[in-house]
Amino acid sequence: MERMNFLKSLLVGSVSSSVLLQACKKDADVTAATTSTSGTTTGTTTGTSGSCSVIQTETEGPYPTKAPASYVRSDITDGRSGYKMTVSIAITNNNDNCNAVANALVDIWHCDAEGNYSEYGGSGSQSTNYQSVHFLRGRQTTNSAGVVTFTSIFPGWYTGRATHIHVHIYNASGTSLKVTQIAFPEGTGTAVVAVGGYKKGFSGYTYNASDNVFSDGTSLEMATVTGNTTDGFALSIVMAVPA
Amino acid sequence: MMKKSTVKLCYRKIIDSNATKPWDKFVLEDSYAEFRLQVQNFAEAKQYPSFAELVHEVPGAQKINQMVGPAITGYIQQLNEVVPDILNNLGRRFIKFKNYQFEIINSHFDSREKHQVAISFFSEPMIWYGTIDNYLLLAPSGQETQEVLTHIMQLQPYLSIYSITEMA
Repeated sequence: MERMNFLKSLLVGSVSSSVLLQACKKDADVTAATTSTSGTTTGTTTGTSGSCSVIQTETEGPYPTKAPASYVRSDITDGRSGYKMTVSIAITNNNDNCNAVANALVDIWHCDAEGNYSEYGGSGSQSTNYQSVHFLRGRQTTNSAGVVTFTSIFPGWYTGRATHIHVHIYNASGTSLKVTQIAFPEGTGTAVVAVGGYKKGFSGYTYNASDNVFSDGTSLEMATVTGNTTDGFALSIVMAVPA
Repeated sequence: MMKKSTVKLCYRKIIDSNATKPWDKFVLEDSYAEFRLQVQNFAEAKQYPSFAELVHEVPGAQKINQMVGPAITGYIQQLNEVVPDILNNLGRRFIKFKNYQFEIINSHFDSREKHQVAISFFSEPMIWYGTIDNYLLLAPSGQETQEVLTHIMQLQPYLSIYSITEMA
């Protein structure tokens, strides 16, 4: 009996108001207008007003699960045609004896065989195809050796620029460590020559020496590229960043 | 009853730090994390940590909307092409969509609470048979039968008719 009174006193006082708060919170999702209830009711409220929307009577559908950004993939080809190329980027720390940086985020992006970049998709373009709207853009996390690998195609080129790949490196907590670009070797026997600028050829091509990004020297940005047009190419580079 | 028209609806879903549903919270969290990554592609981001300021000062920064979009693609797919939140009068979600648009309304590099985004869902075509009070009588287009299955839907905030095509 004493317990009953105790509970009752709670109900009249603070609890009733918190019940009301709860009720408002629940309904706020559906309707802004709620009529006040007397305060003695517990649990569910039945108060309604004429302008209320219909309450949702089915489940939320497939329960949402955590999904990574669609940048996160190793194969960034998305059906773009061109000579296959694997990209291996090793990240080292110039603040720590050039040791490998594990768990760094590495974003890369480059143009397709015709020299065009993808749009980002899911926005602006109102695209219907969720998968291929940001072709040739990807993100990987470095392994314990500081390495990420991507599968892509050999980039084409566009006016004003030498062949290149954009790279943005972040530490594990998402702080930018470096925005840079990868340059390609030029001259006899190189992949750039073997690919031949794809359909465009080299008429109007900008070589590294005249490229406004690379003309100040490419010793640190120059990749090693092996392979051929039959078997595909393998690009590798080591980049030191202040991590 | 008015002349039949084909309409596409648009529902602009606003998500901010008041979000309580799991899907909404995932979208908010992941788009904020991606915003913080992508904004660092702009050298001026340190100087202008607020999204509005950055876009004002650096016109090219508008592109951040597109750059952040892929962060939520997975969640869009989880909707299975059905617009969330908007119910017919039987309480069920019923609007099919394939097209959507993601945008950042507000954000701030140092303040998660200021992150606010919108997703506009554009419906597949529906036949609009008429209006009863403030309810629309709609049916998915493409039903070849004599008896057409319909939905009644109340007009509500952030829901609009995006386009209309009058039928012969």
